[in-house]
Amino acid sequence: MSNYNVVGKRIPKLDAAQKAMGRAEYIQDIKLPGMLYGKILYSKYAHAKIIKIDISKAKALPGVHAVLTGNDVPEKMKMGFYKDNPPIKKGKVCSFRDEVAAVAAKTPEIAKKALGLIEIEYEELEGIFDPEKAMEKESPLVHEHSKSNVLNLPWKLHYGDVEKAQEEAAFVVEDRFTTTWVTHCCMGTSGAVALFDASDNLTIYTNTQIPSLAQKDFLESLKAMGLKNKRVRVIKPIIGGGFGSKLDTYAYEHIAILLAHKCRKPVKLIFDRMEEFTATSTRQPAIIDIKQGCDKDGKLLFRDIKMILDNGAHTSWGATTPSVMMMPITSLYRVDNVRYDAKCVYTNNTYSQAMRGYGNPQATFAIESSIDMLAEKAGIDPIEFRRINRNHPGDITPQGFKITTCGMDLCLDTVEKELRKTASNEKSVGIGIASLIHVGGGARIYKSDGCGAILKIDDYGKVDVFTGGTDMGQGLDNITAQIVAEELGLLVEDINVVHSDTDVCPWDVGAHASRSTFVAGNAALGAAKKVKAKLLEFGSEILDTPAESLVLRDRLIFVPNDPEKSMPIDKLLRKAHFSPGGTMLMADHFYDPANENLGKDFKGNMSMTYTFGVHGVRVKVDEETGKVQVLEYVAAHDVGQAINPLLLEGQVYGGVVMGLGYALSEEVVHQNGKNMNANFRDYKLFTAKDAVKITAYVFETPDEEGPFGAKGIGEPGCVPTAPAIANAIYDAVGVRITNLPITPEKVLAAIKEKKKRPLN
Amino acid sequence: MKPFKYLSPTTVEEAISFYGQHSETAKYVAGGTDVIVKVKEGWIEPDFLISLKKITELSDLHKNEATGELSIGAAVTHATLEKSLMIRNEYPIIYDAVSNIGSLQIRNVGTIGGNLINAVPSADGAIPMIALDGVVLLHGPDGERSCAVKDLFVSPYKTILKPGEILKKITIPPQRPHTGSAYIKFGRRAAMELPLIGIGVLLTVEDDLETCTKARICLGVAAPTPMRAFEAEKLLVGKKINEDILRQAGETAADESKVRDSVRGKAWHRKEMIRVQVRRMGLACMEIIWNNN
Repeated sequence: MSNYNVVGKRIPKLDAAQKAMGRAEYIQDIKLPGMLYGKILYSKYAHAKIIKIDISKAKALPGVHAVLTGNDVPEKMKMGFYKDNPPIKKGKVCSFRDEVAAVAAKTPEIAKKALGLIEIEYEELEGIFDPEKAMEKESPLVHEHSKSNVLNLPWKLHYGDVEKAQEEAAFVVEDRFTTTWVTHCCMGTSGAVALFDASDNLTIYTNTQIPSLAQKDFLESLKAMGLKNKRVRVIKPIIGGGFGSKLDTYAYEHIAILLAHKCRKPVKLIFDRMEEFTATSTRQPAIIDIKQGCDKDGKLLFRDIKMILDNGAHTSWGATTPSVMMMPITSLYRVDNVRYDAKCVYTNNTYSQAMRGYGNPQATFAIESSIDMLAEKAGIDPIEFRRINRNHPGDITPQGFKITTCGMDLCLDTVEKELRKTASNEKSVGIGIASLIHVGGGARIYKSDGCGAILKIDDYGKVDVFTGGTDMGQGLDNITAQIVAEELGLLVEDINVVHSDTDVCPWDVGAHASRSTFVAGNAALGAAKKVKAKLLEFGSEILDTPAESLVLRDRLIFVPNDPEKSMPIDKLLRKAHFSPGGTMLMADHFYDPANENLGKDFKGNMSMTYTFGVHGVRVKVDEETGKVQVLEYVAAHDVGQAINPLLLEGQVYGGVVMGLGYALSEEVVHQNGKNMNANFRDYKLFTAKDAVKITAYVFETPDEEGPFGAKGIGEPGCVPTAPAIANAIYDAVGVRITNLPITPEKVLAAIKEKKKRPLN
Repeated sequence: MKPFKYLSPTTVEEAISFYGQHSETAKYVAGGTDVIVKVKEGWIEPDFLISLKKITELSDLHKNEATGELSIGAAVTHATLEKSLMIRNEYPIIYDAVSNIGSLQIRNVGTIGGNLINAVPSADGAIPMIALDGVVLLHGPDGERSCAVKDLFVSPYKTILKPGEILKKITIPPQRPHTGSAYIKFGRRAAMELPLIGIGVLLTVEDDLETCTKARICLGVAAPTPMRAFEAEKLLVGKKINEDILRQAGETAADESKVRDSVRGKAWHRKEMIRVQVRRMGLACMEIIWNNN
């Protein structure tokens, strides 16, 4: 066991109490003098031409300060991965979510009323809502300027020789799996407050996971507005949930900027819950055709996957989820021959974004369901089948991922042992497992995967850490404080973490890819190491002892077993400060891991380390109603080193419950592009009462590169849940559900189908 | 949200007189779990909300031990019913229904009367009141009148209440010995749920503890208003209750239902749930009868 003093301790979230008491300040709580309220008008059609917009009545309403339409948006102001989506549309709408006008008014009520006074004449166009149909030549085009609804984004790889491997395979299985839209359900709805100073510099308060990239987006918007050489300051209030939803900038932010500039007043634009459901992006839905084969001993020979992704009407990061899907496809279990081809297709549906796991849950649902099918065909126990094919430390996967540490064997053994504890011969009860791989040491998506940190320490041994990393509720502030406290021999309450302001915090690529503990942790650790070196230097001088003999712990600097050579750290700091030629300690550090961008053929060691896990579940299926009851859930993860086991387990619990919703109940229901369940009554997010007991096993496999050996764990918890459930249902009642969510209706229909009785 | 004036009468008469002054611009409110939502969403825009919470008689819950009649004031909250041991022991169907409405917070303020008056096809509270042959007492500008709970509903969100009328209480006639009752809300999750289908069954049997003398099979979300499956009930009366006959009753009730497809669920599945759950609830009734004997 490690000899850490702060790292590895179950320290409750530092901001938990203030959140529980309602004192935390969210974007909703921000009120600035003279502030106006913005509101957005959305399209009435999934696909239509805008013939005429009359804003005169809205403009004339007392209290209205500005009304914007697509004509007021500068030509070059565009959003999204393709930078082709203006914040207010002009001439044509391609989805119900398309913004057609916006107002700023004295009160939210007046703003809402003004929206009702905007008169728009549309000419409805034929919509296309099924991505497979949208690929057909005769289908209407979502964007006339592109020749096809298929995006020019060639997600395609082929390693080894799949055709040949298929010929050699003793057993082959093939099936189609589909996943649908689900949404993040952040408790804090989206919103922004924008204001300009007298010199046209912008300050924007916004919920974002990417302060530095958002700053860049907003700078580009200012440029498009003709405001050159201006500054943008992004301030994050406390964020009520991210889960990937805040990895892009959105229309409401750019609209708040336009309105604030036009009115010369602060403008606040906050989503209500319905907007949060209809106008934020979802998880990327996927149609997945998968074929896998193994030899007679169960060795996996090939994996062949084709996907069709419903891109929706516009392009955000959802279209890039195949880049992460490639990870489980090429590297979950040892498989030499892999082929993958994904097409993103425009439709008149909503568009997708990043969401916890970033494509991994979709791909893993197909892979791990199919693995169970293959194991059955080969006549091998599914857990044994996984053991035969598991990843090993030292492996280099076909995509070029270098597996450093890998606790998959431990995870498999543990989950198996737990599940086998209860004899499983009860009728309609079954067990299922599924594994996962995910990036655990950053992920080089952009040119930089870096994060900066600045650290200063005062006369009393109190530290301020200014980090680029974003705490969005996941607890990065705690982790940063624990890492710094450990390194400097201080206590966690001595560390104040500032992460909220681009004017004072260094650059970071964003809170994505489970990278914050690893990358932002290493940035803070790097700065702390520099300060520590100086502390040791002073200590060595003042205590008259070699620096190597000194230890920092519990706010003391001392030589072990030598009571004479000991001094409180704050006293040492004051001595350093208040002497002739005095000095105060501060340091900065920018950490950019040595991981690689995916290069030619999508090969490259994307992350410094990879994290593994296995989930096991026991379910009971009510064969008359189709209802699935989760009796037991075991989640085993390989985590490097838990900086804070309490928060780590929290990530696992939260991930699993999110995964259970994905598996069993959640779906955004769309009918011809229209969101039919934009509320918590009809969007079946799991409630506290639905949550099940989860046993989380955390295996420490200290990773050389991680801060104190830690790997990332933000996303993995929700990755293997759905296939584990699907596999357990199959084990229980012999029906294989291939499309999510696995509702009672689908299970019962499958059971009836199996019994060959007609429906109804 | 459009601003409104909040009035707090302390008697039914005063409430009706407030309504008389403001007529259509006023709306009665009890727990507010439906009315306030509608106001916030802008679906209704009353100038006055007349709160019924301070009218003490509306919050009265008691059983007349002499007559065996149960009286439930319209403003009795779901939580009050849920926590009452008398309700739990003697009217399990009420307990089953109210203890699964919305969330703890909603049950703490939401009222049984409001649940009836809101008149949604999925009203959990309506099913036990119908199954128990409940009678509502209405009081309006023209005085009092009564009607069976089953006749209260006209269509979704519409009851027979006339403008200004207040639902005062629900009266449950005395229950015969050897009676059991049970309700299940079938949905996708365990809280904050509207039933995909709601099924309440009440059975009374003779001293032989087998032969059915009375049956009530009530369905929520099976038609535009909460309904009774009369044919299925008839099938059971006079027969010895066993799994087989309950299965037949389930089939009949499913045939009687007017379930339909919606984004929340498919008709075939709802029908299937009626088949299964009528049988299961019937068996639950018998278990209660046997346990109480």
